[in-house]
Amino acid sequence: MVEVTLLGVLALTLKVAATATLITAIPGIAAGYALARFDFPAKSLVSSIVTLPLVLPPTAVGFLLLRLLAVDGPLGRHTLGFDLNILLTWKAAVVAASVMSLPLVARTARVTFEGVDPRLELAARTLGFGPFSVFFRFSLPLARKGLLAALILGFTRAVGEFGATVILAGNIPGRTQTLASAIYSAQQRGDLGRADGLMIAALMLGLLAIWASETLAGPGRPARGQDRLDWKQGRGAGARR
Amino acid sequence: MSHLEIRIRLPLDRFDLELDQELELPSTGIFGPSGAGKTSLLETLAGLRRGAQGLIRFQDEIWLDTDRGRFVPPERRGIGWTSQDGLLFPHLDVQGNLRTASERARRSGSDPEHLMSEAVELLELAPLLHRDVTTLSGGERQRVALGRALCSGPRLLLLDEPLASLDLPSRRGLLPYLRHIRGQLTVPMVLISHDPVEVQALCDHLLVLKQGQAVTDGDPRRVLTDPEVFPTADRAGFENLLPGRLSPAPSTAGAPRTVMLREGLEIITEPLPGEGEVLVGLRANDLLLATERPRGLSARNVLPARVGDIRPDQGLVSVELGDGLPSVLVQVVEPTPGHLGLEIAKPVFLVFKATACRVYGAQDRGHQPRAAIR
Repeated sequence: MVEVTLLGVLALTLKVAATATLITAIPGIAAGYALARFDFPAKSLVSSIVTLPLVLPPTAVGFLLLRLLAVDGPLGRHTLGFDLNILLTWKAAVVAASVMSLPLVARTARVTFEGVDPRLELAARTLGFGPFSVFFRFSLPLARKGLLAALILGFTRAVGEFGATVILAGNIPGRTQTLASAIYSAQQRGDLGRADGLMIAALMLGLLAIWASETLAGPGRPARGQDRLDWKQGRGAGARR
Repeated sequence: MSHLEIRIRLPLDRFDLELDQELELPSTGIFGPSGAGKTSLLETLAGLRRGAQGLIRFQDEIWLDTDRGRFVPPERRGIGWTSQDGLLFPHLDVQGNLRTASERARRSGSDPEHLMSEAVELLELAPLLHRDVTTLSGGERQRVALGRALCSGPRLLLLDEPLASLDLPSRRGLLPYLRHIRGQLTVPMVLISHDPVEVQALCDHLLVLKQGQAVTDGDPRRVLTDPEVFPTADRAGFENLLPGRLSPAPSTAGAPRTVMLREGLEIITEPLPGEGEVLVGLRANDLLLATERPRGLSARNVLPARVGDIRPDQGLVSVELGDGLPSVLVQVVEPTPGHLGLEIAKPVFLVFKATACRVYGAQDRGHQPRAAIR
């Protein structure tokens, strides 16, 4: 069996998780906004589908994706006429991670947009901005902290994805073996030293993600400090006058 | 003269808002108690609220015509809308809020820099420009919101109770800014209010709304003293507003101040800071009438006047101070000719204490508004 270095495993894991995060960002934020702002006929259906991967066993989601992408499945070679060449590659790991982290991104984005006063968007409309400008110029910047948190959450979910990934992409060292599946393999083989190393890498990555989300996108902490400072300055200036 | 035609029916929670009005602006007030449908009407005019059936036309533009399926979205109405809470964009500072608004002015061919400097000057926003909007006081927030609306180069201002969320000192401070907008700019405005002082100070025309129906409309003073409106207007009594000039502050702190209404006619008020153009509020039930000049009286103000009108059913007598000053309503129990011998054109004296005067809009240049409140 080929032994891949710890760094190699980490690099593949980051590649998969980052790609999955990029893929989920736009549909996740769009779904979150739609669910927060609009009433449409299929709203509860969309909401359920977006939430489903969160409540299903990951292996069930993996198996469902496998059926879809299998040779005779709706997205397989027989139906499409060509092969997507996804199964058992790193792309399959990306698909699994994307599907599993999309609900977290969409749900967090929805809550974030629900926290943005829709009347601010109306005020922007009266100032001459159409619905699209309002979204990009006002809704997105106003929600930026929560959206960053949503993406970091989605990223960590993608890093930790195991069940769906193993079924769809397998656990091939150097090709589809990510941190999560590498720990499992090492533990199964009894290679506790390697499992320890991988576990510590996972721990560091997790702490880094938490730190990043607290710093960039925490619940307003840096901004609140900033506000307090400005407020004091404002009062000081007022008192001087 | 701007022209706003409103013929709509809008179902609300407890009643339908129904209006069939043609408003000749410069400045129309929509007046009425809370829950009368005022804000819903303004939001419909702004295009922010859907669901109205009928027709809305501003100048020669049709904004709403449900028969022809026409609806102009808010961003294409060219309006300046302010809400009670200002709705400033918290991700931008004060200047950022103004600049964002001036983008439309640029697109529509106005000079955004001119609009901006005009708004900054009119509303005295210069010291606020680099402030974080979350640190502004209520009065400052409203000034910035008004400034933002003006920077967008609007053709019509829709103001939703700009003073409602403010405490009395802030309201007194903001009123003169609104009067500047009304007096110095040509932009017509529709103002919503349940405050008689505000509408008297700012509106040429008043429309009274009650349970979604127009009760009456016309000259603000006439409407506010209408027996149909009067009880809803203010339980404490009608407040007269007289324009005047507060003389420069005396060197001794705590000295009474004088407001000159016209040459030879002055009002003594309580000590207060500031100077300049003001409005003096006098409640009808704080005023006395005397048929002879009273002597040995503690009241500081005794103004010569003539009886203009007697309304026995309302217990009101209006007196004229002459020289284009608005007539003053005095509450008198049973103002019948038998009592006091009041009759139209009879000379009388208007008597009130210095403490009865509420002075609005003194420009207190030496202090921040916030410092003045404390």
